[in-house]
Amino acid sequence: MNPGGQTAEQANSASPTGPARPRPPEPPRVTVELASYSYAPEGGASLFTLEATSFDVRSRELLAILGRNGSGKSTLLRLLSGTLPPLSGRVQLEGFEVNRLDLRTRAQRIAMVQQETPLLFPVRVWDFVMQGRHPYSRGLRFETEEDGAVVRHALYEAGADSLRTRWMHKLSGGEKQRAVLARALAQQPMLLLLDEPTLHLDIAAQVDLLRRLRRIANESGYAIVVVTHELNLAAEFADRIVLLDRGKTLRVGKPVEVYEQELLQQVFGTLLHVEHTARGTPKVTFSGKETE
Amino acid sequence: MRPLTLRKLLLTCAALAGVLLLMVFFSLKFGTRSISMFDLASLLYHSAMGQSDQVSSDFRLIVLDIRWPRILLAMIVGASLSVAGASFQALLRNPLADPYVLGVSSGAALGSILSLIWFAELPGATPFGAFAGAVAATAAVYFLGRRGGDLDSYALLLGGIITASFLSALIMFLMTTISGRELRGMAFWLMGDLSTPSPVAPGWLFLVLVVGVGAIYTTAADLNLLLGGEQEAMHLGVDVVRVKLVVYLGASVLTGLAVSVSGAIGYVGLIVPHLVRLLFGSDYRLLIPATALGGAIAVVLADTLARTLVAPTQLPVGAMTALVGAPVFIYLLRRRMA
Amino acid sequence: MKTNHTRIWVAIGWMLLSAFSAPAQAAQVAPATPPGPPVAPAKAAEALVESHDDLGRLVRLPAAPQRIVSLAPSLTETVFALELGDRLAGVTDFCDYPPEALTRPRVGGPINPNLEQIVSLHPDVVLATRAMNRRETVEALERLGISVYATDARTVDDVIASTRRLGKALGAEVRGEALAAGMEQRLAELARRLAGRPARRVFFVVWTDPIISTGPHTFLADALRRAGAESVVTVSQDWPQISIEEVLRQNPEYLVFSGTHPDDPQNTINSLQKRPGWSSLEAVREKNFAVVSEALDRPAPRLLDAIEDLARQIHPEAFPTAPAPKPREPGNARGGRL
Repeated sequence: MNPGGQTAEQANSASPTGPARPRPPEPPRVTVELASYSYAPEGGASLFTLEATSFDVRSRELLAILGRNGSGKSTLLRLLSGTLPPLSGRVQLEGFEVNRLDLRTRAQRIAMVQQETPLLFPVRVWDFVMQGRHPYSRGLRFETEEDGAVVRHALYEAGADSLRTRWMHKLSGGEKQRAVLARALAQQPMLLLLDEPTLHLDIAAQVDLLRRLRRIANESGYAIVVVTHELNLAAEFADRIVLLDRGKTLRVGKPVEVYEQELLQQVFGTLLHVEHTARGTPKVTFSGKETE
Repeated sequence: MRPLTLRKLLLTCAALAGVLLLMVFFSLKFGTRSISMFDLASLLYHSAMGQSDQVSSDFRLIVLDIRWPRILLAMIVGASLSVAGASFQALLRNPLADPYVLGVSSGAALGSILSLIWFAELPGATPFGAFAGAVAATAAVYFLGRRGGDLDSYALLLGGIITASFLSALIMFLMTTISGRELRGMAFWLMGDLSTPSPVAPGWLFLVLVVGVGAIYTTAADLNLLLGGEQEAMHLGVDVVRVKLVVYLGASVLTGLAVSVSGAIGYVGLIVPHLVRLLFGSDYRLLIPATALGGAIAVVLADTLARTLVAPTQLPVGAMTALVGAPVFIYLLRRRMA
Repeated sequence: MKTNHTRIWVAIGWMLLSAFSAPAQAAQVAPATPPGPPVAPAKAAEALVESHDDLGRLVRLPAAPQRIVSLAPSLTETVFALELGDRLAGVTDFCDYPPEALTRPRVGGPINPNLEQIVSLHPDVVLATRAMNRRETVEALERLGISVYATDARTVDDVIASTRRLGKALGAEVRGEALAAGMEQRLAELARRLAGRPARRVFFVVWTDPIISTGPHTFLADALRRAGAESVVTVSQDWPQISIEEVLRQNPEYLVFSGTHPDDPQNTINSLQKRPGWSSLEAVREKNFAVVSEALDRPAPRLLDAIEDLARQIHPEAFPTAPAPKPREPGNARGGRL
């Protein structure tokens, strides 16, 4: 299985509704051009606005979107996933507007990992991850040999190999997150989106997840976008940061470029201290005691 | 780890069909007058061979003209209710959903009462009125549950519950005004009763059943994903809006079909899907055909008990399903909690 | 997982086993039916006579049907009154008069009779009445090739005409005519005695909690009128619920109770005297009560006894001479001023 998880046939074919999968080294590119969004109840003033923003995401890149609650992180993520149409500008994946793709194609290109995964009835991890193959088959979608191979690989990449026969509702938070990641990877996407994936995890699981994302981005060529408000994790693992503040994109760049003390203090509204370590990765610390 | 394959699906359905066949055979055998296995077998054989003159007309009358149509109705009603129940459980993402939660049966009851009041002289007015009432309730709840072109589960559930209670109040009001004799028949129907042969040929009923179940079955794989959340399903490529609409309409039609034929038989639509899940898992690709067969088995069994336990008096089927269904439901609940 | 599956299959198997053993026992306990396996008795090639029943339906019966099944207590009573009681092959669970009716095979209730049982009895005719039976039952029987004769008596006069017609249809024309003529005669005599006397304003108490009485269009209301009483209820519903204020406002002269009221009428009357509202009623204070048998609401010849009985209780002055005790069938409660 080559990077990007495609077979030779898939690499050379082009579907009429979406981008063909090129062979590397041309990296898939997500471009956000002046995309904005606004939500307003009927007749009322606009409740929330995401101002026009532009950036891009390359393959093998881990991009982190940072900001406070309500700054528009999740909205931006949904613009990237194509579920929300931008009010202005556009969001493109390999030249095709994500919002205009049909559902099936979109699911083959973009995978999303949400904060919570509700489970109604007991399901085994294997079957759960197999759901990621849904966009590739028709009818009753009985699993094929190829599906099995893809799922096995996805489980491996997500570090959920040992969980294969377990029941989803009996997993710990971290294990469940890995299974959900595996399902997303089973979609063989170009773009992997994660909405605050570390929210309910303990420290070890958080670090493990980010480390894994970093690795699969490097090895398999995914473009990954993570929404988070974990400043230090983002600084440690992300290639670039998009910093949002109340709908405005304040800065896009490498962590060392974005993590300016006054800027972060203004955005997060609290006193903090930014250290630049020898490795080049900035570190944010908070004072525990009350200062002036 | 045995994933679902076509082979497993067909084998399971064949096994359940076999159980159903056995159940039908025993149901034909038992009744007010028990017929020996030999007599029954020879009766069926001779009828199939077209040698009906070899068979006593008494047997023929009882088995073929009274019991068999009733069993056929029981199968159709059982399959409809179970599939509808399983579908609503997925649509509303609620394991407590049953076919009646969205007010379809109240609409059907109201329709049949109104047809009793206005069209009592027309034969078959009651089932058609019931079906019309079911369709009307379905439409009303649909409009209540719509949010910008899509069916919202919460709005649907709320709208359904409100519609059901409103219609029930209307029904109670009407029942105090219509005269006593219609009332008696109505009470029986509301409890669930299969003793009245349907004026509609079973062939048509079966057709509606097949169409309804078939339509829902096309979304079986999607339903598995829908259970994990609408957003998630959408990100996996499921056309959530279309799937919800198809399932809503299909399940409502099936419920309307069942209720117009036999009144509101309870617990089948709630319990059979859960029992089938216990045995065969939650995969809707298998669940839908398996619940259809399971529901048919359940109602045929309940109906056989209803007409033989205290023969010659006949209990309403709904009473039977409630008597058995309630304890089973409690058992299932406790299992879930444990 | 394996153990769970096995346990469930065992449970199902057990349920099936027990389900199938129960009906077998029930079938043996069922009342004796003609021994089988029967071949349908070759119907004697008797000429079938055409007649019209109360609903105007065309019915084809043998000139003197030998096997009659009755689907209502009133019909059973009438058949016995026509001295055809020994030709009754089947009656309902509620047919309790005359006592001989209790010895006849049962076919279930009037609303939901057991079709199989009826078929096994090989009736020449099944008697039904609009007041108690459902049209679906009639249709089902006809589809099975059984002749159904339906009566419909909504007034006392209807009863007489219906009895006459039924007697003729059952081949007891002479007896039917005698019965009808006798009833007409007694009614005429009663009318003569009551001539010129204003009708007593009465309140017929069907139930006390809540208060339910009879409307003006019921059969019972007509019977009351013939007994020289007029129900004070103005609501046109058949069995309306009335508030105590309305009863007080109407201030009936007499309260009439049915003798089959669950409590001993004496107890009911005593308890009413202690209740607020009721105790203010003039009828309660003066103890103007009448108690009648349930025959007053049954369209059968015994009706006349009940009418006369009631008339005697509320118009005692119209019957000055102590009458030679009329042959009273058991079951008529004695009432009068207490």
